[in-house]
Amino acid sequence: MSTVMKTTRDVKGIGLSIPRPDGPEKVTGQVQYVADLSPRGLLHAKLLRSPHAHARILRIDVSRARALPGVRAVLTAADIPELKRKAPTRAHAVLAIDRVVFAGQPVAAVAADEPAIAEEALDLIDVQYEVLPVSADPLEAMKPGAPPVADAGTEADTSEAQAHGSVAGVTTEAKPAKAVNISQQARIQRGDVAKGFAESDVVIEKTYRVPMVHQGYLEPHAVLAQWDTTGFLTLWSSTQGSFNTRSEVADVLELSENRIKVIPMECGGGFGGKIRALCEPITAILARATGRPVRYVMTRREELEAGMPAPQVIIRLKTGVKRDGTLMAIEGEAVLESGAFSGAVLAVSGVFLASLYLWPSFDVKGFEVLTHKPSIAAYRAPVAPQTIFAIDSQMEQLAKAIGVDPVEFRLRHLQREGDKMANGQPWLSNGGAEVLTRLAEHPLWKKRAEWKASSPKGRLRGTGLSLGGWLGGLQPTGATVRLNPDGSVQVLTGQVDIAGTNIALAQIAATAYGIDVDKVRITTGDTDVAPMTGLSAGSKTIYTVGVAVMEAAKDARNQTLEIAAKELEASVHDLEIDNEKVVVRGVPDKGITLAQIGKKGNLYMSKVQPVLGVSHPAFSQQAPAFCAQLAKIEIDPETGEVTLHDFVVVQDVGKAINPLAIEGQMQGGAVQSLGMALTEALVYDDKARLTNPSLLDYRKLTSADLPNIETIIVEKPSPHGPFGARGVGEPPIVPAPAAIANAIEDATGVRLTELPLTSERIALAIASAT
Amino acid sequence: MRRFELILPESVDDCVRALAQRGPETKLLAGGTDLLPQLKNGLLKPARVIDLSGVARLRAIEPADGQGLRIGSAVTARTLELDNIVRARYLSLAESGALVGSVQVRNLATLGGNLCNAAPSADMAPPLLALDAEAVITGPKGERRVPIAAFFTGVRHTVLAPDELLVELVVPTPAPHSGGNYLRHTPRRELDIAVVGVASQLTLANGVCTKARIALAAVAPVPVRATAAEQSLEGQPVTPDRIARAADLALEVARPISDQRGSAEFRRHLVRVLTRRTLITALARASA
Amino acid sequence: MAKLVLNCTVNGEPAEVLVQPWDTLLDALRERMGLTGPKEGCGTGDCGACTVHLDGKPIASCLLLAMQARGHVVLTIEGLGRPGALHPLQDAFVRHGVPQCGFCIPGVLMAAAALLTENPHPTEEEIRYGIAGSLCRCTGYTKMLAAITETAGAAAGRRS
Repeated sequence: MSTVMKTTRDVKGIGLSIPRPDGPEKVTGQVQYVADLSPRGLLHAKLLRSPHAHARILRIDVSRARALPGVRAVLTAADIPELKRKAPTRAHAVLAIDRVVFAGQPVAAVAADEPAIAEEALDLIDVQYEVLPVSADPLEAMKPGAPPVADAGTEADTSEAQAHGSVAGVTTEAKPAKAVNISQQARIQRGDVAKGFAESDVVIEKTYRVPMVHQGYLEPHAVLAQWDTTGFLTLWSSTQGSFNTRSEVADVLELSENRIKVIPMECGGGFGGKIRALCEPITAILARATGRPVRYVMTRREELEAGMPAPQVIIRLKTGVKRDGTLMAIEGEAVLESGAFSGAVLAVSGVFLASLYLWPSFDVKGFEVLTHKPSIAAYRAPVAPQTIFAIDSQMEQLAKAIGVDPVEFRLRHLQREGDKMANGQPWLSNGGAEVLTRLAEHPLWKKRAEWKASSPKGRLRGTGLSLGGWLGGLQPTGATVRLNPDGSVQVLTGQVDIAGTNIALAQIAATAYGIDVDKVRITTGDTDVAPMTGLSAGSKTIYTVGVAVMEAAKDARNQTLEIAAKELEASVHDLEIDNEKVVVRGVPDKGITLAQIGKKGNLYMSKVQPVLGVSHPAFSQQAPAFCAQLAKIEIDPETGEVTLHDFVVVQDVGKAINPLAIEGQMQGGAVQSLGMALTEALVYDDKARLTNPSLLDYRKLTSADLPNIETIIVEKPSPHGPFGARGVGEPPIVPAPAAIANAIEDATGVRLTELPLTSERIALAIASAT
Repeated sequence: MRRFELILPESVDDCVRALAQRGPETKLLAGGTDLLPQLKNGLLKPARVIDLSGVARLRAIEPADGQGLRIGSAVTARTLELDNIVRARYLSLAESGALVGSVQVRNLATLGGNLCNAAPSADMAPPLLALDAEAVITGPKGERRVPIAAFFTGVRHTVLAPDELLVELVVPTPAPHSGGNYLRHTPRRELDIAVVGVASQLTLANGVCTKARIALAAVAPVPVRATAAEQSLEGQPVTPDRIARAADLALEVARPISDQRGSAEFRRHLVRVLTRRTLITALARASA
Repeated sequence: MAKLVLNCTVNGEPAEVLVQPWDTLLDALRERMGLTGPKEGCGTGDCGACTVHLDGKPIASCLLLAMQARGHVVLTIEGLGRPGALHPLQDAFVRHGVPQCGFCIPGVLMAAAALLTENPHPTEEEIRYGIAGSLCRCTGYTKMLAAITETAGAAAGRRS
């Protein structure tokens, strides 16, 4: 599949920085998101949410709310026959039945003529709760006797792990007796760890903590639902995958999938948080109950209190090394706090801890633990930034402890293609060593000693780097490519285009077919018309949908040439496409235009088949993608304020289909990574209630906090991606926390192990160290 | 937002009348940057809202009768940030205006709103305390003046009676050779709220400090003056040692809590750091 | 409670529209006037997606009641430029490949346009602070800075 296309002429296609064609609509406010839709008869939905993280619902009285003029429906679990007592996923827990398991869990739903009336109706609903003890801390929740979260018999949910194509093969163990909140557990071992530590000259043991963080997409979850008179449901949704949304909603509503159409609207950011269904089921149920279109748009407060954030990750690591730099042993324990429902990706942590670097012996355990908090979901490279924060911080400290160059130390031990991962599978082709080597050649790394020495009075300067990556996601998918009667080309997928992937797919189609991209139109279809298409997630849009588009375009090209061969009475092998015309090689005036071929496929009584290229591949080979980042910082040691002076991102993208769009991914991912490093955390009190439910107190970085993000693209072709491309989205969010922690240590001598690395943590650590 | 009745007065008298006729649940709306989030989150559910944006007098900045400046309660943070007179005479107040929220918020947020919301972290309170400002309050019984130091009575509580309105602040003109500075610490550079805020104001005469004012935000239920620290500076030259000692003394009035914005320990640490830094800047400005 | 009549100027045209007393300006623009370019990202003034100009100044339209705009001049992203007749900033944003998800973009552009009106030759630091009230989760701001810097430079070039 990776064959380099031999087009007969250089077309305007892959490798060019082409701005997305819908840019003018985006910059003028013309593109439509769900909340922009207001069909006639629209009702507005609001949800009553539990103020308690764990409580029994004794009684719900909705009579006063139902009596409020303008209220069209007030529903509780009792009104929804499809609800299952043991909800297997968050999507199934549409409304709490008799117990709430996190603060913010929906208890009742209202549809009304105006949002203000719906809100007043919520005030009129009377719920009596019996407040129950909570499991607010994952380490406490693991212990026997902790307040239980799940109803007994609920299965672990590993669909997220599958969706992200993370590595299987990590053995799952039976959970210990009475540890009711451990929902998944795994262990990977090789060699004799005790012996390894005994023979080590330096052993470092640290615990790293990364709190729950929110994906932070600017557009809150939104859905519009409408039923027709035959019982057919249409959902306009802000989703990363319309087919997945359709499946989940069908499952919850016990409806056939061909009774549901999901129209993916412009998606105002997802980052993993808009993969799973969240508010689609309740909105559909309200629309069914009222017979009217119902729109539900989450408030930002609801997003933060009751969205689907990334798990808290606590990783204890013990590593041993010989003075000559030989790695000896690693022992680790990763605890992933999954909130009220299972769904964490356990395997990513295990693979990166045990087998990013070559440890002769390892023993790594992973636990998914339930607590009374909102259940988690994917967030761009799920669990990778958290894990790399731990292992890369540890590698840096080991290098420092034995006095070797930290880059050489990493490169010496980095596993390469063919080395066995912890799960026994070999590492596939990747550019891990290349990106780290490239970053180490950067002047900012070479001049780090001068930067440190240049610290002005009262300031401390430092530089840090880190290496991280993503194993790559896979999902079957489909695409069609048509030739239009005017000779232009039309690509159809169901791919939700968030970041500008459609222009890159169009470029792939252009090069594969042999026509300029200006002549290619690409459409994202809804679930009724598009071929089955995977999620916009896991760094796999270009890697998988790109293959489908490339193959469908090649198919269309072959069909085009076959038609031309008949028309021109020439061999297919002698034909080429040049300037929108199929010509016989060497006989430039013997040809037929694409428009002529296209017309023949569309004429009444014509005997020529229309050109319709189709591809619907499935995949088995991932393409790991690595990213190395460097931070040049200055610290005010008294206030702990960190000034980012420079930030460099080096990433292996395999083949840059559209460098402009790739740079955008690298810069955006880096800033999310920096937010996780420096300021972002969902902070809960001991009753498991969120204490910072606003964007004032949940601090995403602003433009004033950031330097320019320098991007350096490395191209080490992947064997299976279209034209050698690899996934691009996930890698840049991975390295920054470790890079910043390493830079802080370089500047101050203080090693911090708990994210975010806030000014408070930095200042107090410096104060207590001096 | 839940429903409410909206009243649109065009003069201070209209306001006072509307307040006098008020039902039990009326809120005054100025810039809305504190009030609207509270309405949206359901923390407040007033039956009536009185919009002050139509009252021109509240937006005026003009010389006070005696000495100083009258700053209307509906003057925006952005105006304080940019106004030439405010910048020239009361730089610390301009600095506090420049720090509120973001520019989109500063174009709405008002001086009176910042004070009447009475958050312990209110940025404009410390400079006004350090400048010995007075609040001009009006109500059915007429106008009264309250020193800003006595304006705040608790978290989200002020001396304003339910039927009263904050009209303006009168800020005396500092004596010659005066200088001030407001600094706050925030985890982000914009779009944030003070973990600790400190305003200092110094007046010098012949190398001796004749007047010192130090006021702190977000370390007690109300913005407070660090009087012991002030007194330690007055009557003598301001030296680095005395500044360090004043920074230590400022801690005496700090009763910080730990919350999601910062621990009590970090806040105490910051009081020292920011007091010292504002005094150094205030001294330089007074000496200039 | 009866609806109120809001009279103001929107995108250069006089507007007379019925609003609820509790409608924010953002609600009125989006739900009563069909101007859905300004977005609601947080509703509390902490993200900038709803930024419009009121009398030429950028404001968070989610924090202003619609009736508070009575008699004032409102400019939304729809009035800044349109496809085929883009404002120079919009054109630069497209060419620099700034928009990804696009949700923050109308707000960022309104903040940037106000900045350049007030300060035609901003430094990088001034641009960074000028748009710091607008959160973006996709771009890392770098391409925005380049687009704004280029536009300011081009404007400066035209004047000189």
